[in-house]
Amino acid sequence: MQIVCISRGTLAGGRALAEKLAAKLGYDCLSREELTEAATRAGIPVGKLEMAVVRRRPLDERLALEKDRYQAFVTATLCERALKGSIVYHGRTGHLVLPGLQHVLRVRVIQDPERRVEMVMERLGLDRAKALRYLEQVDEDRQRWVRTLYGTDWNDPGQYDLVVNLSNLVVDNAAAGLVHMSRLPEFQVTPVVQRTLQDLLLAARCRLQLGSDQRTRDMDVRVTAQDGVVTVTYLPRDAQRQELLPAALEGVEGIASILCTMASTNVLWIQERFDPANPALDQLIDVAGKWNAAVEMLQLTGEEVEPERAAAEPSPPAPAPAADGGILDDAQAPASEDENLAAVRQRLIEAGRAGSVRRVPASSARQVLNALDRSAPYNLVVIGEVFCDKNHAAQTRLTAEMVGMLAENLRVPVVEQKDLKAQFLFSPGQWVRMLVLGLLAATMFLLVFTHQLPVGEFLVKPGTSNRILAVLAVVAFVPAFAFCYGTFTRLLLRLLRFE
Amino acid sequence: MPDFLIADKFIVIDWPVVVQVVLLGFIGGVLSGFIGSGGAFFMTPGMMNAGVPGSIAVASNITHKFGKAMIGAKRHGEMGHVDKRLAVLMLITAAAGISLAAWVMVLMGAKGKGGSRSAGADLYISVVFVVVLALVSLSMLRDIIRSRRDVEAKPSTRIVDFLNKLRLYPLIHFKVADVKVSLWVVLVCGLATGYLAGTIGVGGFIGVPAMIYVFGIPSQVAAGTELFLAQFMGAWGAMNYCYRGMVDIRLVLLLYAGSLVGIHLGAYGTKVVREVIIRLVTSGIILICVLSRAVAIPVYLRQLGYLDYAPSLDAYFNTASKVLLYASGISGTLIILVFVMRAYFQRRRIQSSLLATRGG
Repeated sequence: MQIVCISRGTLAGGRALAEKLAAKLGYDCLSREELTEAATRAGIPVGKLEMAVVRRRPLDERLALEKDRYQAFVTATLCERALKGSIVYHGRTGHLVLPGLQHVLRVRVIQDPERRVEMVMERLGLDRAKALRYLEQVDEDRQRWVRTLYGTDWNDPGQYDLVVNLSNLVVDNAAAGLVHMSRLPEFQVTPVVQRTLQDLLLAARCRLQLGSDQRTRDMDVRVTAQDGVVTVTYLPRDAQRQELLPAALEGVEGIASILCTMASTNVLWIQERFDPANPALDQLIDVAGKWNAAVEMLQLTGEEVEPERAAAEPSPPAPAPAADGGILDDAQAPASEDENLAAVRQRLIEAGRAGSVRRVPASSARQVLNALDRSAPYNLVVIGEVFCDKNHAAQTRLTAEMVGMLAENLRVPVVEQKDLKAQFLFSPGQWVRMLVLGLLAATMFLLVFTHQLPVGEFLVKPGTSNRILAVLAVVAFVPAFAFCYGTFTRLLLRLLRFE
Repeated sequence: MPDFLIADKFIVIDWPVVVQVVLLGFIGGVLSGFIGSGGAFFMTPGMMNAGVPGSIAVASNITHKFGKAMIGAKRHGEMGHVDKRLAVLMLITAAAGISLAAWVMVLMGAKGKGGSRSAGADLYISVVFVVVLALVSLSMLRDIIRSRRDVEAKPSTRIVDFLNKLRLYPLIHFKVADVKVSLWVVLVCGLATGYLAGTIGVGGFIGVPAMIYVFGIPSQVAAGTELFLAQFMGAWGAMNYCYRGMVDIRLVLLLYAGSLVGIHLGAYGTKVVREVIIRLVTSGIILICVLSRAVAIPVYLRQLGYLDYAPSLDAYFNTASKVLLYASGISGTLIILVFVMRAYFQRRRIQSSLLATRGG
């Protein structure tokens, strides 16, 4: 079983390449158009969704739910087809539908812009200027679609294993090259990938079921699955309807248990080793409690099994799902590590803050980025112990680089675990800060109100130099007061757990 | 009629005025945190009702907005919601818009004579306020009704489609917002935002929808960019008005006293209230505010000699205006606070029960 995802633009030759590759490999070929038609038949208003994105309309609540349903439908269909046999998928975002899934060959196809213009002129009978404008518009629309659905840049080559430029390469030869590449051990599906596919399929089926059940269709939920354990996070406003979730999922096959967590958002916790005795766990539970967030754990397992070895030895059969708290294990980590991870998860479950747990074989910021589900609403990313095999200086540098890269791409606050308390919880230093700034604000306030007349006269005193002086005083005084008083009130409300 | 501390500009601030302005700040802050922009639509007329001349109310409000926007923009910036390139381009014409607004305000203020000291400026502010905010609130209500009928839930995108077709060069790509917009469209929107910010202190009501519906950028980036823009517009506005001696720093501090608490509570409310309710509450509040200001217009018209009726009737118009304004702000804030407190205590209850379960 193998999965090849070809990301194509308009008139870039991706369709022809995908079909040729599928024929050469003897795989099924599935196109985005087929998926879209099937989704529309299933009652998902894909056309309406596309129009909203193309016309730059912000998605309202209802359309946002339809977007979730569509994404779940695409994931479910791709997983179903892939689990039945090898597949070549061609469309816009196939490479993003299966986040974190290793061994998928992700290819981007591009074409010489001049050639594309000529093709548009030929096919649509347009003059050069109109053809250029048409292509510009279509590319913009595609890019916006990808950004809206998956929050990422379509043109980022870091998301692909290979970018094929068909400008100087005929489709047949490009397909032949891809055939060779697809035979590399890095792109052979392992039992672990198969299990991940089953999890993705289960989560997508559950999401679709919740979206089609009358009782839960208007609930904004996020569903993940690990070895049959389905985690559903719902918004606080739906707290009274949470008992409907397991009832709505009754008919879905493959569910071992259902965990429902109330969460407005998600906090992502990334590290290599999870430890229930780590004080950061309590801090994170505290932060998640204040924000109504679910904590998702992403464990980095370093590089995966060596490709050469994997090629030489057939993959072992997939072990039966164990009661491991939904943890995947590629390289059979020591049992104690699993126990630690399971213990951390148990603590989160007890605190009502449990999100999903994933293990990914990543050892760089880029790999972590590619493994993330970009459609998930994260509000904070916490980076714990990573790059543990490096020396202290290298670890510090690489961690800082990871913080920077994730912050830039995810556009959410990304902090190191050691800074969590200082930034998001109430530390003794913040007590001092709150009191000092509060006192400063009170002093400024009293000074103005005990000297109303001189202050007022100073503000209206005629003469250019007096006016300029008044302007400078106000421009300096107002932000200073706003900063002192604003920080004081923010810290006070944080102290009262009003965040 | 209130007493004046200095000439005809700064009023004497007694305890009732303190309470009113702090309350206005708090309500404005809650609404601002809840709606995402604005708050001034309540604070400006509120201060006018408390006896503050219109131009001083606008100037103090825009100065207050300046500091508040600085804090908001910093937080949005940390989350990557600020497109600085877009903000800088809009700022160029927004600054011109504010200067124009301040100039027109002085011109309008000069029309009043004697007892009608600030009637010209007050009338001008009120008319702009009523027209702009009536359009905003009615279009919001129309959207809600449409979405209930299961038609299109969002306003018409005819402008966006039209501009897309026109492709007025040069087109600029804004990386953070991920849109390509004509420079001319950006400049015109900047001018309108600046002008309204300078006139009624509610530039955000135009800036944010313009960015969403005309430029097509995501709402979070629109809010962040608007705040980034607002801190400079606020600074520019504050400098302009301050140079003309119109900023009453005491009012600014009193507004802060309430607004910086309220804004956190309002923002909390957006996390726990459904979008349709947010829009319904918002449009309802704005509409009543518009009515409140509309009721006060005859007073200014009479003071300027355009209307002829017994001056004793002014008290009734002013009272009706005050009642409507406070009814809208207080009821809207109460509704929001009910949602906020309910969610807060619900969360505390859930956490207590979870801790009890763990303990047991």
